[in-house]
Amino acid sequence: MTILDPVQRETDPTAIEAVGRYFICDAVPTGLVAVGDTVVAGFGDGQIRIFRPDLPMQEVPAHGGAVLCLARHGASVLTGGDDGRVLLVDIAGNITELAAYGGRWVDCVAAAKNGTWAASVGKTAHVCDSEGRTHALDHPSTVGGMAFDRRGERLAVAHYGGVTIWTRGRRDWKASTLKWAGSHGAVTWSPDNRFIVTSMQENALHGWRLRDKADMRMSGYPTKVKSIDWVGKNPHLASSGAQEAICWPFDGANGPMGQRPLMLCHDGDALATAVVGLPGHDALLTGFENGVVLFSELDPIADPRVIKRRSGAAVTHLMVTPDAGWMLAAAEDGLVLWAPLGRAG
Amino acid sequence: MQDQIPVTVLTGFLGAGKTTLLNRILTENHGRKFAVIINEFGETGIDNDLVTQADEEVFEMNNGCICCTVRGDLIRIIGGLMKRKGLDGILIETTGLADPAPVAQTFYVDADVAARTRLDAILTVADAVNLATHLDESHEAAEQIAFADIVLLNKTDLVDAGALAAVEARLRAINPTAKIIRTARCDVDLDQVLGLKAFELDRILEIEPDFMEGDHAHEHDDGVTSISLHSDVPMNPDAFQKWFSTLLRTQGQDLLRSKGIIDMAGEDERYVIQGVHMLMDGNHMGPWPEGKKRETKLVFIGRNLEAMNLREGFEACKAA
Repeated sequence: MTILDPVQRETDPTAIEAVGRYFICDAVPTGLVAVGDTVVAGFGDGQIRIFRPDLPMQEVPAHGGAVLCLARHGASVLTGGDDGRVLLVDIAGNITELAAYGGRWVDCVAAAKNGTWAASVGKTAHVCDSEGRTHALDHPSTVGGMAFDRRGERLAVAHYGGVTIWTRGRRDWKASTLKWAGSHGAVTWSPDNRFIVTSMQENALHGWRLRDKADMRMSGYPTKVKSIDWVGKNPHLASSGAQEAICWPFDGANGPMGQRPLMLCHDGDALATAVVGLPGHDALLTGFENGVVLFSELDPIADPRVIKRRSGAAVTHLMVTPDAGWMLAAAEDGLVLWAPLGRAG
Repeated sequence: MQDQIPVTVLTGFLGAGKTTLLNRILTENHGRKFAVIINEFGETGIDNDLVTQADEEVFEMNNGCICCTVRGDLIRIIGGLMKRKGLDGILIETTGLADPAPVAQTFYVDADVAARTRLDAILTVADAVNLATHLDESHEAAEQIAFADIVLLNKTDLVDAGALAAVEARLRAINPTAKIIRTARCDVDLDQVLGLKAFELDRILEIEPDFMEGDHAHEHDDGVTSISLHSDVPMNPDAFQKWFSTLLRTQGQDLLRSKGIIDMAGEDERYVIQGVHMLMDGNHMGPWPEGKKRETKLVFIGRNLEAMNLREGFEACKAA
């Protein structure tokens, strides 16, 4: 356990650490995708690392340069890299090149359940449907984030000044815009497709209710929001960027408007740097800048539990498999904890 | 916490020699790994997986402050470069026409960029043959000189001594604090232009010897001028902070660079400031060296300086 802080080495491993494994990957993690009981991780050294229960970690050379983005695509994973390529990686580590954009960075990828996928290069989102038809959708500035709605009929593209919603037509994709001054990065649809939320370059989230394009400002964070995820049956949007996981309620007609967020998990003054919901549970994991990961029910009086002790670097990415059986925490310095959640009791 | 990666901003007009310098940095065997962010692939003619293209996307921040415009493309690209390990430095090439201010401001305003990188220096490549024409024809040329920490005065082999002296005098009039390096084909020792920490406050102290000689203001038809202020009388800290912060808030848009060492009345340490537009870094930088005179020196480089009543404002801050 030399990888942990000297102070932490004195303390006993957590129940999760005791049944899990640490890996030291000498690279910066860039994204995680869960497929079945497998987690596929992208790294800045261009490698894809695949984590499966009870099997050794598998390293797959994928991109020249860095893996910039990942998205789940059916039973496989879509990746984009700064070598300008879009790859399909299956959980056995087999790679198929789907597209190449001549050396320009592929900043964002997204995929829908119906097989449509999209990759952004600069200001253009290239969309390819399940029948192989492609469209190049242009935007006023570089694409900051992309997400398909749950049915794959609409693609939300975040950029400077707002979000463009592309709706699939018979022959083409039709644009409508959601405006809000500032630069928008990651974008997500609420589970019921009624709301869109972006993380901004400012220390804030911004949301829109699609029915009437009503704006929702979610601000007050001391730092940028780098990680968001939907948690719980009555969905809350959990977010990093403050000393706790800030969880905005989206269970009513008005979303979080006029409501206060739940503030869950804190570890002293450490900033929360990553959040992930446990699929099917009203619970989440929160990672902190000091390397700690805490578990909490989506309940302000719940007592958080320590999943991972302090280590040298911020936890930047968290993932839980769809059956909530396994979790992966990746820190900025390449330290990865891969552990079963269920066996710890 | 990882070390902050130094970033050098390379400005200058087309044909001045930026590409020559970039090619040297990318191809010479100096044992360091640099990423280069350029405007056009075609212009540089270099193929290297650490060269990436910028789009010059200028973003306004939501606070509505014009001084807080940043380069969104740089935020994105630097975020991407930080995913790699082992970079020793980043060079950002800007076109002759690009405003260097949003580039510099990006390193102050964006928290992620500020945490991971530090602005090392603004390096302007000027062409001894054509600089005078560029200064006459466009205000961008004067602004690039004004912003510079270092001016690489290139093609000096193509002009005679008299013309060279005239060009240098014009450079000095716009920017009295920049280091001027004369070269023929950008043949400069790279250590003279990279890793300078020109934006760190202790470097403001180091360039003190040729900081300025007494009080003088430069007048120039480029619209970009400089003014040097000096006082042997200590400054009243409250009055100075009030004057200075008001100045930045109201005139920051026209103040391109400012640097200074302040003798605050009743304080044992030197107060050092440096800034780009209204973004200012200031701190106490240790006691005055023994045997050295305590004095205040302040330089502003910018537009419309005459209208700001800088001298009157400065004089009014002197402790009674």
